[in-house]
Amino acid sequence: MVKQLLQGNEAICLGALKAGMKFFAGYPITPASEIMHFLAKRKDTTFVHAEDELASMNMIIGSSLGGAKSMTATSGPGFSLKQEGIGLAHMMEVPAVVVNCQRVGPSTGMPTLGAQGDILQSAYGSHGDIFPIVLYPNSVEECYIYTIEAFNAAEQSRSPVILMTDTSISHIYETIDTDEIDKKIKIQPRTLKPFGTGTRHFTGLAHEGDIPKTKDTENYRKWMKNYKKKQLEAANNYNFYEYFGKKDSDTLLIAYGITSRVISPLKEKFAIFRPIRMFPILQELKDIAGKYKNIIVIEQNEGQYKHEIDALLKKEVKGIYIHGGTILLSEIKEKLKSLGIEK
Amino acid sequence: MTEKYFKQEMFPTIWCPGCGIGLTTKELARAFEELKLKNSQISIVSGIGCSGRAAGYFNMDTIHGCHGRAIPVAEGLKRANPKLNVIVFSGDGDIVGIGGNHLIHSPRRDTDITVICINNQTYGLTGGQLAPTAKEGTVTLTSPEGSSYHPFNIQGIVSANKRFFYARTTVFHIDHLRKCIKEAIQFKGFSFIEVISNCVETYGKRQGYKNAYEMLMEYKKLKIANNKDRLEDDEIGIIKKE
Repeated sequence: MVKQLLQGNEAICLGALKAGMKFFAGYPITPASEIMHFLAKRKDTTFVHAEDELASMNMIIGSSLGGAKSMTATSGPGFSLKQEGIGLAHMMEVPAVVVNCQRVGPSTGMPTLGAQGDILQSAYGSHGDIFPIVLYPNSVEECYIYTIEAFNAAEQSRSPVILMTDTSISHIYETIDTDEIDKKIKIQPRTLKPFGTGTRHFTGLAHEGDIPKTKDTENYRKWMKNYKKKQLEAANNYNFYEYFGKKDSDTLLIAYGITSRVISPLKEKFAIFRPIRMFPILQELKDIAGKYKNIIVIEQNEGQYKHEIDALLKKEVKGIYIHGGTILLSEIKEKLKSLGIEK
Repeated sequence: MTEKYFKQEMFPTIWCPGCGIGLTTKELARAFEELKLKNSQISIVSGIGCSGRAAGYFNMDTIHGCHGRAIPVAEGLKRANPKLNVIVFSGDGDIVGIGGNHLIHSPRRDTDITVICINNQTYGLTGGQLAPTAKEGTVTLTSPEGSSYHPFNIQGIVSANKRFFYARTTVFHIDHLRKCIKEAIQFKGFSFIEVISNCVETYGKRQGYKNAYEMLMEYKKLKIANNKDRLEDDEIGIIKKE
């Protein structure tokens, strides 16, 4: 009904509150800090400024088990620290949302220009095998929508869902109408009973039900098979992507986040596929990409998603690597020319 | 009757004969009984290590999380579910070593949880490495020539706050141990109990003790101190500021 001017990070907060978030813990880091600033003022959620990233991640595991839909938010350096907790939440099957607003890495990098260097970390950052659901919006409106969907997916999969942004998507201001979105979107209720209602034991050890099984290979393999199946089945309810542009071109451009917005003028000449659910990789991406002669993945890193698509299609596709920092359409066009695509 | 607080099917425990962790879990259950707490009013959160396995033996909703992170998990649980009595049960390597930052900040926020820290001065489950709580000169697998560091001052860290509850006790003084646990649970705010406990297998034998009995006789020498502002090294007792 009423359009509001919001920042990407603010839309994430409003989406989280709409989804029913009742607990947030975080640690300051640019470009994610506005999420903390916004939520610190709210009376409709518990807010903790934790001592570090490890604490905030582990706090949301405790609060989620306590009965509250929970979230934390960070950027690359903090995301690395949260990985132990993300692995734990997968092993214990605890729903939560982890926001990662990407900036240039490795390490402190260029604070705080944008990049997309944490794509593989979002899927493979934990030790051991995990199958996380990773969503990546590319506008303020989508920050709102996909934060709600991230909470929904977390409840349905009983796992920590990763919501990715980059500096630009987190900091961009756009007008959105949340009332209109609310009419269309469903909120997944809590399924996990809060603590104080049972005799459950949640453990990071391999287990069978409540019982740790540290020397039982067969049980572990059975658990892994069921856990993977659960993750993939839940993910299938969140097949978000965009496929547009000149679909009858022989060339498909694949991009996500800020990069997908920079290349959008190229839709006149090429087909464009924008995954919103980054992981598990969409079947639709495989099906659609299979129709094109030239497939070019454009991203702000050294071909992280390209390597995933190589593996998916079992052939080497082309990549345009715009490393962290400034991203310009002219540079992308130059690189398309050098690949012999753009004349 | 403390049986209702334990999952009978989980026994026997993983702990070595003579270990003090089992005694402490029993006193914790007796404290629950004496405080008339129902299972549904309690949760136990553990980290990693021998003591970290304690949570799994309790018959209520419990968590066994990452190494060093029992305190923040418990803090999140308590803040989301304030009616629960949330007890952290973990070891000194977990809480004082790798989880040290949380031991500084959760008491500073005066989070209303109770931490029971089994201090056996070693990393028992990994074979007996030097813990931050071990005395100078202690010979372990990672300090073959004897530690050159002073032990961590847990009392100092916990009691540095405006409000605090710090207790030191041992697995020899079981009545005192239970009294400390009960008072800590009843304390509104962050309460900490350092339980000096014997790890005979991977620590005691390297220090020249033949068995658990000899270690317990060593703890017996510690004096119970009352109404003090600060406990000396040879004292056990409770200090607090409300």
